[in-house]
Amino acid sequence: MTLIRRYWLSALAIIFSGIVFLVPFSFIILMAFKDRTQAQLLDFSWPQGMHLWSNIVEVVTTRNWMLLTAFINSTILTVASVTLLVIFAAMVGFVLQRRKTRFNGLIEFLILAGLMIPPAVVPTIWLLQGIGLFGKLHGMVLVEIAYSLPFSILLYRAFIATIPREMDEAAIIDGARPLDVFFRIVLPLLWPVTVTNIVVQSVAIFNDFTNPLYYLPGNANATVQLTLYNFQSQFQTSYNLLFTNIALITIPPLIVFLFFNRQIVAGMTAGAVKG
Amino acid sequence: MAGLELKSLRKSYGEVEVIKGVDLSVEHGEFVVFVGPSGCGKSTLLRMIAGLEDISGGELFIGDKLCNAVEPRDRGIAMVFQSYALYPHMTVYDNVGFGLKLAKTPKDERDRKIREAARILQMEHLLDRKPGQLSGGQRQRVAIGRAIVRKPEVFLFDEPLSNLDAALRVDMRMELSKLHHNLGATMVYVTHDQVEAMTLADKIVVLNAGVVQQVGSPIELYQCPANLFVAGFIGSPKMNFVPVTIESVGAGTVTIVGKDMSPITVPAQTSGLQPGDEVTLGIRPHALDASQSGAIVGRVQLVERLGNETIVSLQLPSKADWLVVLDGDRQLRIGNSLALDFAPASAIIFDSSGLARHPAPQALGE
Amino acid sequence: MTAIMQTGAPTAAKAVPVLKRRSPYPAWFFLPAAIIYGLLFLLPTLASLYFSLTRWTLFNSTFIGLDNFAQFMREPFLVKGLINTVIYAVITSGLKVVLGLALAVLLTSQIAARGYLRSVVFFPVLVSTVGVGITFTVLMHPTQGMINEGLALLGIDGPGWLVDPNLALFSVALVDVWKGVGLATVIYIAGIVAIPQDYYEAARIDGSTIWQSFLYVTLPLCRPATVTVIILSFIGGLRTFDLIWAMTRGGPGFASDTIASVIYKQYQAGFYGLSTAGNVVLFVLIAVLVIPLTMWLNRREGHE
Repeated sequence: MTLIRRYWLSALAIIFSGIVFLVPFSFIILMAFKDRTQAQLLDFSWPQGMHLWSNIVEVVTTRNWMLLTAFINSTILTVASVTLLVIFAAMVGFVLQRRKTRFNGLIEFLILAGLMIPPAVVPTIWLLQGIGLFGKLHGMVLVEIAYSLPFSILLYRAFIATIPREMDEAAIIDGARPLDVFFRIVLPLLWPVTVTNIVVQSVAIFNDFTNPLYYLPGNANATVQLTLYNFQSQFQTSYNLLFTNIALITIPPLIVFLFFNRQIVAGMTAGAVKG
Repeated sequence: MAGLELKSLRKSYGEVEVIKGVDLSVEHGEFVVFVGPSGCGKSTLLRMIAGLEDISGGELFIGDKLCNAVEPRDRGIAMVFQSYALYPHMTVYDNVGFGLKLAKTPKDERDRKIREAARILQMEHLLDRKPGQLSGGQRQRVAIGRAIVRKPEVFLFDEPLSNLDAALRVDMRMELSKLHHNLGATMVYVTHDQVEAMTLADKIVVLNAGVVQQVGSPIELYQCPANLFVAGFIGSPKMNFVPVTIESVGAGTVTIVGKDMSPITVPAQTSGLQPGDEVTLGIRPHALDASQSGAIVGRVQLVERLGNETIVSLQLPSKADWLVVLDGDRQLRIGNSLALDFAPASAIIFDSSGLARHPAPQALGE
Repeated sequence: MTAIMQTGAPTAAKAVPVLKRRSPYPAWFFLPAAIIYGLLFLLPTLASLYFSLTRWTLFNSTFIGLDNFAQFMREPFLVKGLINTVIYAVITSGLKVVLGLALAVLLTSQIAARGYLRSVVFFPVLVSTVGVGITFTVLMHPTQGMINEGLALLGIDGPGWLVDPNLALFSVALVDVWKGVGLATVIYIAGIVAIPQDYYEAARIDGSTIWQSFLYVTLPLCRPATVTVIILSFIGGLRTFDLIWAMTRGGPGFASDTIASVIYKQYQAGFYGLSTAGNVVLFVLIAVLVIPLTMWLNRREGHE
């Protein structure tokens, strides 16, 4: 009896999830295969003829290979930001968890503030212009680091709390200096949470639209999210190309999802169990 | 050659003083055990010697060197932690060799020393494993290996056996004793287990609330505890205490009387004691024997028969709970009364400030 | 005086300078993060407090007091943005809590294809918001869109999801829930999985039904997850920009404007002081709503 009910429930869940979640994705893929006239109909139909390759070529070569440049920019932005972010956040998380001083309260307050307060965009632009980094990729890297630090520090700090302090002390007795303790003992032990950090923050920064919109104006340093946004007005009549673009920029998160699903979920659910 | 010299060593966290001026000297090659209840400061004292805690006041000499501000790596010490603190991402070989690597010891010399340490501890077959693949006893060995490979002047042990099961603990205790004998190095060992302290130590330091209560050999502490705290802490089962009143004072003896006993005369150091003083009588459970004409009578509450001996819980008329260890197997009924006797020389009188009044040595010698 | 002499003399003779070793946890480890965070986040935030009180062209600023804020309270389209922001945050976080919990309970039960379902629900979280926005703009097209064509098959006359001023904000909020419910679900799953099975067994022995077990075991014990989901999605809802911008640009008219989109519009129009005032308003709004909410959620937890 319960078995039959369970089957019904499963079937219902699968059908429902299919309609709600799979249809939109299938729609994107189908559109990417269509030609311009068929795409114009915006319907959920089987493509007449195979136009995926020509669509990709057209999207990529549009506006002087802009999408390719954007992919390179997004990759540089993501890799550089996440690399520095991971190291800096781990350093802060480590000392913050280990060393109790009267500044800890202030630091924790600033971290929580960073999670809550929306960045003040125009003053940031004013500041970036002041130091000559506005519209530059490395300026954007620093901004992404600044905005992502609080979450990464919290992830690290929670994990470092699970590494016994005796581990550091054993290393100190063995003759390790502070940098040895951090780089040879603690950082290797942080590997699981580092992977989580890398994956979660890579996806977030790669998908970031708002901040590049403000801080990376112009085409030279556009990221993939910006090109998609720009194409939206340009390809008003070529839905096949617009959806090819969407399909292309969904590939990196898809790959990450396939390989690192567990770590992403671990990172995003940190804190769900214990306040 | 390195002993230890602690001169009025102090440690405070803000307003709270946890080590209140410890003086201690340890000869080279001695096995010293710090023992005391949890929170007494014994681990803090060890960590101050290691250099893991700052010293708030006083002086610490390792060998002849003033070490207050010396980094742990330059103190010539090695430490074995309660949790072993093996580096989980390194093999046993790398764990043992980590200190040598940091000291930039040449590779072949390092290899020789690691294998030598592994040989001493009979763990050559474990060298390629990670700590996660080892049993508790094996991890313990690796932790000790990591210490001996550095050839320290002073070994520090922070409750190293408390994570092992009972049987393994006895084995490792004997091995540590042998290791001390073979290496001849100074060892400082922290434990809350007074049996470990008694069996391992050349010298026991009993600590309570950041103050040294007594320093001495295990037998000294057992036979002549300096005060009520040491008397109650050393020895198992615990010493029995009962409040009594002095009836009269003789030459090197006092006659005491109490609610639970008929008057009895015991040897004691009498200076300052007067008839009518409230004192405490302490008698070890093993010093008591059943006797028809015993001075003390109690009601049997519980009988534990172990075969070779019988442990009896008694309640005295004053509601004091006592333990008695009787030789051989005895069949006693719960609720019956049992009369006890003891040799007067085995009794210890504690004055109102808790200090033991051991009689002068000649009186004790008889 | 003599008392001081007596106690002072012996200690003075033995006094040793208290020498400190260097901490193994050096404070300079904070430095790289502190510089970047201080310069690019804290400094602009503090500067915004001043610039929100000015008419500002990036090159020079004229102090105009609280005029910008007065304008925010006065101009109907700005007030509308303020109200929309709160509505949006309440709808999205409310739906995410309810649907996330329901999905999590479903996906931790003995159901077929659990792994597949979890993946399908979670994947949209990782997809580009702009991409999702564009896709749903097309799907929600009033005449050609798939959603309305699907509804027509069932004989329902679908509404103008994004073109109806009364509906646009809710339509965007629904897409936000579609994209974000996977995160709420995995957070709830983590919370539910952490509940020891003993409680359910004890409840069963005490004769509780499945519904009672949910009400008296699951719900109270996954409270930390609820707190996380509410706070996370509420703050996210208040700050939301990219989805609204990709789908409606705040339109039709100002029907779906939120503070974040107003900030961008004012920035584009060159009203930098007003835009920055918008930032401060959003900041204050978050502080005023989220801090009491957090305290309330955590206080209840402390009582249990």
